[in-house]
Amino acid sequence: MIEVKNVSKVYGKKEGEFTALEGINLAIPDGATVAIVGKSGSGKSTLMHVMSGLDHATSGTITIDGKELVKLKPKAMDRFRATEMSFIFQSFFIEPNQTCYQNVMLPLEIAEVSRRKRREMVKDALLDVELESKIDNPARNLSGGQKQRLAIARAIVNKPKLIFADEPTGNLDSKTGEKIMDLLFELNKNLGSTLIIVTHDHDLAARCKMQVRIKDGKIESVKGLK
Amino acid sequence: MRIADTIKRGSRSLRAAKLRTLLTALAIAVGAFTLSLTLAASNGLHDYTNKLIANNLDPAELIVGRDKYIKSGAATASEPQEYSDSVSSVSVGGKTSVQIKQVTEDDANSIRLKPYIEQVRENYQITIRYISREGQKKYTGSVQAYSSAQKPELDAGKLTGGDLPSQGVLLPDSYVSLLGFKDAQDAVGKTILIDVQQPFSTSTLQELLTSNQTVAQLAASNAAKAKDEVFEYKITAVSKKTATSIAVGIEPVRISNPDARKLYDFTAKGTGDYNRFLFVSARVKDGTNESKLNSAKADLEKEGYFVESSKDIEKTITQFVNILTIMVGVFGLITVIASVFGIVNTQYISVLERTREIGLMKALGMARHEISELFMIEATWIGLLGGLIGSIGGLILGAALNPYLTKKLDLGKGNSLLIYRPLQMIILIAALMLVATIAGLLPARKAAKLDPIEALRTE
Repeated sequence: MIEVKNVSKVYGKKEGEFTALEGINLAIPDGATVAIVGKSGSGKSTLMHVMSGLDHATSGTITIDGKELVKLKPKAMDRFRATEMSFIFQSFFIEPNQTCYQNVMLPLEIAEVSRRKRREMVKDALLDVELESKIDNPARNLSGGQKQRLAIARAIVNKPKLIFADEPTGNLDSKTGEKIMDLLFELNKNLGSTLIIVTHDHDLAARCKMQVRIKDGKIESVKGLK
Repeated sequence: MRIADTIKRGSRSLRAAKLRTLLTALAIAVGAFTLSLTLAASNGLHDYTNKLIANNLDPAELIVGRDKYIKSGAATASEPQEYSDSVSSVSVGGKTSVQIKQVTEDDANSIRLKPYIEQVRENYQITIRYISREGQKKYTGSVQAYSSAQKPELDAGKLTGGDLPSQGVLLPDSYVSLLGFKDAQDAVGKTILIDVQQPFSTSTLQELLTSNQTVAQLAASNAAKAKDEVFEYKITAVSKKTATSIAVGIEPVRISNPDARKLYDFTAKGTGDYNRFLFVSARVKDGTNESKLNSAKADLEKEGYFVESSKDIEKTITQFVNILTIMVGVFGLITVIASVFGIVNTQYISVLERTREIGLMKALGMARHEISELFMIEATWIGLLGGLIGSIGGLILGAALNPYLTKKLDLGKGNSLLIYRPLQMIILIAALMLVATIAGLLPARKAAKLDPIEALRTE
């Protein structure tokens, strides 16, 4: 359960002040699929950053599973991110010179998962995205869709409760994008993790159980689950 | 992140940029190479010095002089000194002569009476005319009193006890074939001749004046000529020329101390320098015990002597070697400092190139200090690589150059100029790794400070 209460985010000071988010209130139940939609500059990415603890809210509170993010110390915040959440990005952010195995293993290294368990967990994750045959291939040889699948494998390897996806289909053609969407929703069903997608893509947003529309830093509408 | 994972990840990133890593490491390698060579040369010189001292000086012996000039490393007086009767002129390098206060026979005898002194050997300066053998040509040479500290290597014959036997001679091998011997073994037990000349002294003059001869008669006779005399010696042993001998030029022929005294008396009696010595060697009882040696030294110094132990001489030579080492070492250090900037630069570029990777790692919960460690460890790897390349290069050069240098510098078999010590190499490489890590500190901090949101923004 994620609870966003009266969150505001202001950049700059005085005349240069810019309000990115204002009075956001949101409750997301566990296992939900949520689309955050809005135009560029509407504040949807900022909302994702604030919810994931990458950025600090200027005011208001964010509570994830009873833990208030602002109150967490940096070390606890890092630990929380390493074990409870993960990210999928538009540009994949995979290391082309490393093998698929090494790419997917990164979150396990950061979370200090024991060496014995790693290979098995990476294999499982690659199996889920159907890249198990590429495990020891360098990531640079993969196609765009495969790269995003690899990024998804990296996001799920740690079995996080919360996955943030920032325009996951933005760099893919519609057909490949469709496949990635299918994969994301299927994984959400199987793993039961909460999926929060920031997107322009109406098709993708429509498939989510909950749609949050942001305009000028404020919630314009919330459809689906309340 | 566990440190083992950080180390692995760092080495992987470096392998991804092989050429850049190698070039950066080469800068350190140059420093490592220079420093390893400096250390090796210093080791070699120290070893050689120690051998030189051990093979030429008795550690229980003190060199006692009246002038501070005898102290190794001391310069001759550049200002006029108060005259004393014991001042003599000594030629330096065959060109200039300096006046040096000498140790007189009385001094030597008083030192001899000290309870802590076992033996005193005067430094006899013996000038000979020639060395020869019945039926052979005459050859030039020099004669010295034997000292057991010199540990000569023998080709043939045997030496027993602390001195040569009376009428015995230790012949350098360079004379063996000149004097018509088949080999060194053949020479042992045979007799050689040493011709010395008596100075034309006042006593000779007196003798002549009291002989009631006219000047014409004197001129006609041989009496006015300096007397010379041939001394016979039996070859006790033949010595090999050793690389660690400090003899300049031809190896001297060595005779026993009493024999040396006889020759000295013959050649120097009647001259103004008779029974005056540049220094005497005083052997201290139980002198290998450092505290006894030092207290003897202090006591002699209290009486106005200038005293030098083999340790002091070693120190002087070592000091010279150390200065050389430091000078070359400084160049090595400058190279290392230059390479530090190389590492800083490379790592900065690496941080800039890997902004995304850093952002991702942070987003995935990698702590700031872990990011910082990752980049510092990469710098450590570069240091290790550079250190290894440089010191292995040094080892190879040493192996290639040593035979040539040993021959060229006449160091003698078994002596090398470049001596590599494993422990030193390990410390050197470890130190370079540390320097590299410190160089990586600044870029690592930059990486740690990076804002993940900025880093992950897709444009």
